[in-house]
Amino acid sequence: MMLRTFIVAILLIAAQVASGGAVVGESAPNFNLTDTKGNPVQLSDFKGRYVVLEWTNPNCPFVRNHYNTKNMQGLQQRWGERDVVWLSIDSTNRQSWDYVKPIKLAAWMQNQGAAQKAVLVDPDTGVARAYQAKTTPHMFVIDPQGTIIYAGAIDDRPSTRPEDPLAARNYVQAALSQATDGKPLTTSSSVPYGCSIKY
Amino acid sequence: MLIAAALVAGAAHAAPVRTEHVEAELAAERTAIVPGQPLTVALRLAMQRGWHTYWRNPGDSGLPTTLRWNLPQGMNAGPIEWAPPHALPVGPLMNFGYEGEVLLLSKITAAGDLAEGKPVTLAARADWLVCKEICIPEGADLSLTLPVAKVSEVDPRWGGPIASAQAALPRPLEGFAVSANGAGREVVLTLGGKGAARDPGQVYFFPYKAGLIEPSAPQTLTRDGDQWKLELAVANQRVGEFDRVAGVIIGSTGFGAQRAASIDVPLEGSIAGSAPVKSAPAPLPLPTQSENLSFGLALLFAFVGGMLLNLMPCVFPVLSLKVLGFATHGGGRATMRLHGLAFAAGVVVSFWLLAAGLIALRAAGGELGWGFQLQSPAVISALAILFFVMALNLSGVFDFGRLVPSSVATWDAKRPLLNDALSGVLAVVIASPCSAPFMGAALGYALTAPRGITVGVFTSLAIGMALPYLLLAFFPHWRTRLPRPGPWMQRLKQFLAFPLYATVLWLAWVLGAQLDNDAVLRLGLALLLIALALWAWQSRRSGALHGWTIGALAGVAAAAAVVWPVVAASTPSGPARSVSTDAGPWQAYAPDRLAQLVSDGRTVFIDFTAAWCVTCQVNKRLVLSSAEVNDAFSRHKVVLLRADWTRRDPAIGQALAALGRSGIPAYVLYRPGREPLLLPEVLQRSTITDALATLDKSETASTR
Repeated sequence: MMLRTFIVAILLIAAQVASGGAVVGESAPNFNLTDTKGNPVQLSDFKGRYVVLEWTNPNCPFVRNHYNTKNMQGLQQRWGERDVVWLSIDSTNRQSWDYVKPIKLAAWMQNQGAAQKAVLVDPDTGVARAYQAKTTPHMFVIDPQGTIIYAGAIDDRPSTRPEDPLAARNYVQAALSQATDGKPLTTSSSVPYGCSIKY
Repeated sequence: MLIAAALVAGAAHAAPVRTEHVEAELAAERTAIVPGQPLTVALRLAMQRGWHTYWRNPGDSGLPTTLRWNLPQGMNAGPIEWAPPHALPVGPLMNFGYEGEVLLLSKITAAGDLAEGKPVTLAARADWLVCKEICIPEGADLSLTLPVAKVSEVDPRWGGPIASAQAALPRPLEGFAVSANGAGREVVLTLGGKGAARDPGQVYFFPYKAGLIEPSAPQTLTRDGDQWKLELAVANQRVGEFDRVAGVIIGSTGFGAQRAASIDVPLEGSIAGSAPVKSAPAPLPLPTQSENLSFGLALLFAFVGGMLLNLMPCVFPVLSLKVLGFATHGGGRATMRLHGLAFAAGVVVSFWLLAAGLIALRAAGGELGWGFQLQSPAVISALAILFFVMALNLSGVFDFGRLVPSSVATWDAKRPLLNDALSGVLAVVIASPCSAPFMGAALGYALTAPRGITVGVFTSLAIGMALPYLLLAFFPHWRTRLPRPGPWMQRLKQFLAFPLYATVLWLAWVLGAQLDNDAVLRLGLALLLIALALWAWQSRRSGALHGWTIGALAGVAAAAAVVWPVVAASTPSGPARSVSTDAGPWQAYAPDRLAQLVSDGRTVFIDFTAAWCVTCQVNKRLVLSSAEVNDAFSRHKVVLLRADWTRRDPAIGQALAALGRSGIPAYVLYRPGREPLLLPEVLQRSTITDALATLDKSETASTR
């Protein structure tokens, strides 16, 4: 067992050096952001708990579809009750004309009945770059040890059709329920879909 | 309406639909539909300036355009034939798609008996995502009405543009020898052959599948001799199996007459993190064999399997040593019995330890199977060194009595029982990878059964293995057939070194399969140093060489030689080079590949194998590689998958557990619509051909 742990550790270090990104099986890069209310939030505050990162943009039709259908709020609510920390991150560059001021973002989320732990703003796009986040929504699930266990799309239906989010196979839901049941994940990565993040 | 009706009478009619950012319409290459002949129809999308729609692989974000046809009876539409895409950078990200205007072609076929005279309407729902800085999902219901006639003309408006779009479609690359090689985080696409004499200009490769090649990474083209090499970056978060490089390659000055060409070549070499992140394998029907195995039968199988372990090639060196031991041991019957019991105790205790370890690991969630010890290169190196030292001892290069400090030597001699027990432990360690027939099933049963039963099965295995020695110890008159001690013993001892050397060779080969040539060289050098050290030590002891320096140097050399390959081997640098997956029709096993094939209704044969499994190699050489069996496979169009377990692979471990096995060899035949068939561990040609014959019955039944 010692040997196995050792080999795994070496491989992980090698992989981290090689890619420099946030990849499934590696530890999630820590970050320090402020939420829409101006409170500082860092990932390491939540060590020991499952964390979900949701890249969001209220102008993106893919994001809107998941909020209009209450799919996203449902996940936030359900897993929030089970002590999972849900963080939504808006990495729209403040230079982009797609940029929304934190106060407006907070109002939009409130209007939608969003139930995440915090809505974080990343107008310098540094955290999106650290995670190599590409789309909205782009989802990451981090386990209590701080390891990324899922990265990719929210579900298996890349579309903006209102009938899809609730009928799709939701990868985040599956990853969280399998991980919290101590089962291996059937899907630990997928190709993210949606609008590009406005770097 | 009147105007529309008038137009229909004349030629093709379609109304462009304007959405916020796109003008869309259907257009036909010719003026009429001719029954029995294909017609090319284009979805024309004209985007506003600065806006784009997407190719079949949209790149880092976006969605491909979709087209759902609603056609009259007797007509069919083919898939979209995608025009060559453009690389559209969006900040640090990259999209693949179209700006300006694009024609996406589809082939419509009309039945030969389509009634002439009456016009038909081709309707389609088109959906696209159009993006500039923001993205808007748009769509339109489009239609195109055409007369049905015996003859048709090239459409004056659209005939020309559609013909050019058709000519620009990527066709398989001609005049080039293309290959793809993975190394680390890079894939190099090599374009050789006579076509490579010309400069293709700026080259860009667009992969069909997302999640394999990083869309935003720069692609560099270099000249290497008379070949072109295009460097591509492996996706940071890879999704799915990367075994082929397939997509469209575009050269600004073209590849011969083609500007855009399609390529699809296997990916050779190995890329970093080659164990791809697991994606969902579909649940498969499982064979029921192990469920039917009752506890009693499992114990019996384990017992017989344990006895057969003695005859396995892996355990042969130990068998040789033990026979030698029986021949040399003097003493009375009581002593003999004690020796036998000590050996048996060693075997039983080590099986118990293994059982306890497996139970603990199973609880910890590790998917481990029989033989897993030999999946660690460090263990392989250590075993090779151990066997080599034992072999040198047998060859007479050195003598344990002189090497080991006298206190330890006498301790060893004073405790022959402990010695026997330890050789029992050793026998178990070495025998474990060669799981004999029966043993796989018993172990599979034990691994999925409650703890008490697991321990029972392991005990039964141990008793089976130790029994022959016990019998010889308790019934010495059976031993009278063994030759009497004499000078032949020295020769026998020297001869018995050779099976050990053979074992070292085999271990070195396994190490090479797990790591690379360098690892074998490291091991070889280490063995050389050890031999030198032992020789020097022995020479000094016997007074042929003088001085403590030689001895000390030898000691240091030996220590370095032992530590170095073991440590180096415990940090594998890459994925296992598959000794056994590179052969001909065999493809590498992957759970989702199997699920795909099974859901496609294919017949699949899986060979669970590893370099360190001798039985597997024998089956491969004698049965699986035989012409008779290969003919049978190709006659039944069986897809051959090879699951190489030379290095630990949880996916293969899980697959074996699902089959009710925990060791290899294992052979399974998936037949469409029927339960998978688990074949015996020792294969004969007839086993395979008989199993395939069961397919003929089901085929005739299903085609009726």
